[in-house]
Amino acid sequence: MIEVDFTLKRDNFDVSIKEDFHVGITGIFGPSGSGKTSLLQAIAGLAKPENGRICIQGTEVYNSENGVNVSVQKRNIGYVFQEGRLFPHMTIEKNLLYGMKRYGSKHLGFDQVVDLLNLRHLLKSKPSMVSGGERQRTALGRALLSNPKILLLDEPFSAVDVRLRSQILPFLLKIHRKVKIPILVVSHDLPDLLKLTDRLCLVQDGRCIGHADYHDLLHSVSALEMFGKNSIMNSITMEVKDIDPDKGLTILSANGEENSIRVKCEKSQHIYKLGEELKIFISSDDIALSREKLKDVTIQNQLRGKIIDIIDRGATTLCMVDVGFQLVVEITAESGKRMSIEKESVVWCLFKSVAIDVAG
Amino acid sequence: MQNQLIIFNAAELSAIGLSLKVALYSTLVAVPLALIVGYLMARKNFSGKAIIESIIHLPLVMPPVTTGYLLLLLLGTRGIAGEWLFSTFGIKLAFTLNAAIIASVIVSFPLIVRSVRTAMEMIDPGLEDASRILGAGQLRTFFKVTIPLALPGIISGSILGFARSLGEFGATITFAGNIAGETRTLPLAIYAYMQVPGQETATMRLVLVSVIISFIAMTGSEWYIKKQIKGKRR
Repeated sequence: MIEVDFTLKRDNFDVSIKEDFHVGITGIFGPSGSGKTSLLQAIAGLAKPENGRICIQGTEVYNSENGVNVSVQKRNIGYVFQEGRLFPHMTIEKNLLYGMKRYGSKHLGFDQVVDLLNLRHLLKSKPSMVSGGERQRTALGRALLSNPKILLLDEPFSAVDVRLRSQILPFLLKIHRKVKIPILVVSHDLPDLLKLTDRLCLVQDGRCIGHADYHDLLHSVSALEMFGKNSIMNSITMEVKDIDPDKGLTILSANGEENSIRVKCEKSQHIYKLGEELKIFISSDDIALSREKLKDVTIQNQLRGKIIDIIDRGATTLCMVDVGFQLVVEITAESGKRMSIEKESVVWCLFKSVAIDVAG
Repeated sequence: MQNQLIIFNAAELSAIGLSLKVALYSTLVAVPLALIVGYLMARKNFSGKAIIESIIHLPLVMPPVTTGYLLLLLLGTRGIAGEWLFSTFGIKLAFTLNAAIIASVIVSFPLIVRSVRTAMEMIDPGLEDASRILGAGQLRTFFKVTIPLALPGIISGSILGFARSLGEFGATITFAGNIAGETRTLPLAIYAYMQVPGQETATMRLVLVSVIISFIAMTGSEWYIKKQIKGKRR
């Protein structure tokens, strides 16, 4: 666990955050210049807070009251920078070995990391000769091999073009499954973060304005404001129940619930395995509501649910629908009125199977 | 006539040897110091930094004879520190080979520091942060990251300092004197020949040697820098 409670002065604003971060991935989300990187720097010791206390896995690394300020090199932190910061004069192999402890990592060994991150063919290359995605993977591997107590990632995807992001996200998920340590991932890109985790900490103007599960945050007005005017994403973890290659569909189900979702499988070239857990994304405005189940429609997915919350966003209305899991549906305010939608109403949520995006 | 330009007498050979020796020792002393000072100048902020910087760079613009005179005042047998050194340890510096080396170090030091400092300033401090986060202390970071990345600047600075030492005249003749076989380096030997009528050929002989050594040093430096740039592009 990472416990932070500090105030840090920056040129034009100050960052004051008091939060606990637990084992697993926490996404630190916020606009640029909101203090996300300052939070990571304070934890790593690259920036010194004015006052407060920082504790990493039970060890106090900073305390303004008793003068504790453990130096950067002794904090035992894995840090992946936005630009990777590989040492340009060393090969990929030397970079990976740079922070490796003599007695080895308790999480993963060198060969394991190299295979996990698919770096073996690059070991003898210099950083300038490999792609952006490969550089970030090396940076990730280098951080992992230093046997860190926690892992901090500062915009690990932004230096990599969108197409290559999918090369890093799955690796991060793999690591998360193997290494049970707190992992903080800073990003200003919500879909990227949601592909990794549902647990978010929202940072705005140097303050944390929400730290909870994504679906719970959707009930908060300030959080919704931060998610922006864009449509809200539904992020759902589901299990592969059935694969029907003839119809090109994969049936998914959320943890044993009856409501299952049909996903068009040509959409992603991924070949799924039965029982595999997948994260799927549906944009809230790709879902339609109906009072009753429709017959003779091409829409594959019709889920029955009950409205549990209604949030007014001006021109549109957000309906939180419990269909066994929570779905956010965005409809125009006008249709809401016409259908006289209110809490406890029973509705059918309709969406095409092609509207579903599956995380790699 | 032709042969006279390439046949050296013992005194001339000694002057050439001395010059190379002084330049080599001076570079060996100045470079490690320049690495530390260059690093402090590039990375640390402390009070009095500007003054220290000015003092280091002073020999670059001051007449070398002034530098030599100040050294004499400081380290001469009756100088402030020199007297103490002589009475305590029996060390006599002025008018010895060591004096020639000290004079060379002082004069070439600013050139080397400048080059080292610029090279270190070009290194992204983020790489040093990355090294420390990976558990390397300041010393390890300095030797594993800072120095290797600044190497082109360090080498070209060293060559520049070496060449400057070879050409050192004013401070040397003032502080180390012009003692044949002990402190008479190449430039001093040329100067000595020029004082004597009828030594034009001998003077030319040494002048040629001087030009050739300088030329080799500078071409070597240029070649190295070009090689580095090419290496980076690859």
